[in-house]
Amino acid sequence: MNPFESNVSRNMQGSFNSPDTHKYSVILPTYNERKNLPVIIWLLAKTFNENNLSWEVIVVDDNSPDGTQEVALQLAKVYGEDKIILKPRAGKLGLGTAYIHGLSFVNGDFVIIMDADFSHHPKFIPQFIRLQKAHNLDIVTGTRYRATSKPASSDARPGGVHGWDFKRKLVSRGANFLADTVLNPGVSDLTGSFRLYRLPVLRHIITETVSKGYVFQMEMMVRARALGYTVGEVPITFVDRIFGDSKLGANEIVSYAKGIWVLFTTV
Amino acid sequence: MARAHRVALTAFIITVAYFLTLFDFLSVPLLDAAYAEQLLPVLPWWFLVSFGSYCLWSIGLGLVTLRECPEAYDELVGEIAEAKNELRTRGVTVD
Repeated sequence: MNPFESNVSRNMQGSFNSPDTHKYSVILPTYNERKNLPVIIWLLAKTFNENNLSWEVIVVDDNSPDGTQEVALQLAKVYGEDKIILKPRAGKLGLGTAYIHGLSFVNGDFVIIMDADFSHHPKFIPQFIRLQKAHNLDIVTGTRYRATSKPASSDARPGGVHGWDFKRKLVSRGANFLADTVLNPGVSDLTGSFRLYRLPVLRHIITETVSKGYVFQMEMMVRARALGYTVGEVPITFVDRIFGDSKLGANEIVSYAKGIWVLFTTV
Repeated sequence: MARAHRVALTAFIITVAYFLTLFDFLSVPLLDAAYAEQLLPVLPWWFLVSFGSYCLWSIGLGLVTLRECPEAYDELVGEIAEAKNELRTRGVTVD
């Protein structure tokens, strides 16, 4: 039997006229990211071009008042309108629906979701892709808490965080431990949101996902496991917001705990 | 069946087995009855304390092993400056 005619082999191959037959679409939800957007696009373009990957970025802007959209259009002129695709929405409608909105404009066969505030560095994307290819994974997720990738690979470097005080670390560790114990998702970093998905897999999971906010990213992983998709992990370094601040108060913690309970009783 | 149902079912079976053993309807294999009589009443507390200890150790170990990465920050700051300079020359508004 010719091994290249097997279904596994066929599924691993993309149908794009690019060096690795795949195209990678980044969905970037933005709100008031005028300062960050040009730099994150520059970093993405640099990473993809250096690694000879075919790419596009879909900017889903929630009608930012600070002029994010004008900057996105300038970037589209610089990098090409097939590379930077601006698909704005009428107002702040939440993260989950931003991905659904962005998904309807995706041209590639893999989707990368990440934050636009530099806490996720594009330099890890080639590692995500290598791990995906080596093991034919459906999802590869970044983890701040591991020193090695899972399944093991030689190019993984230890992950970590920068700019977190003790309280932030404790809350993050406690939140992940709670979710890990209650839901047993098999993934070390549930609240992170730097992930590579096979397009049909993301489409499938996102239609089943109901929660919002912090719980949304966790639910995606828990559902992926329940649906039987394979998930790999790559350690990433996480530099907390350089411009602007991230919010983590008592309300977030309570809604997170509620979210875990809902997932525990439904998935 | 959601995870909650599976966990509840397992917990129910273990609880029933425990009480049947505690009230002498079942016997503990490979253990002298006199010892079993002393062990069984404290077994739930032993589990509780062990679980609490496991939780504290897990979170504590997680905190200790959570790495700081100042080198990633330094690299990023350099790249941001580089990106801004290049983008300015290509006509993108950067501040």
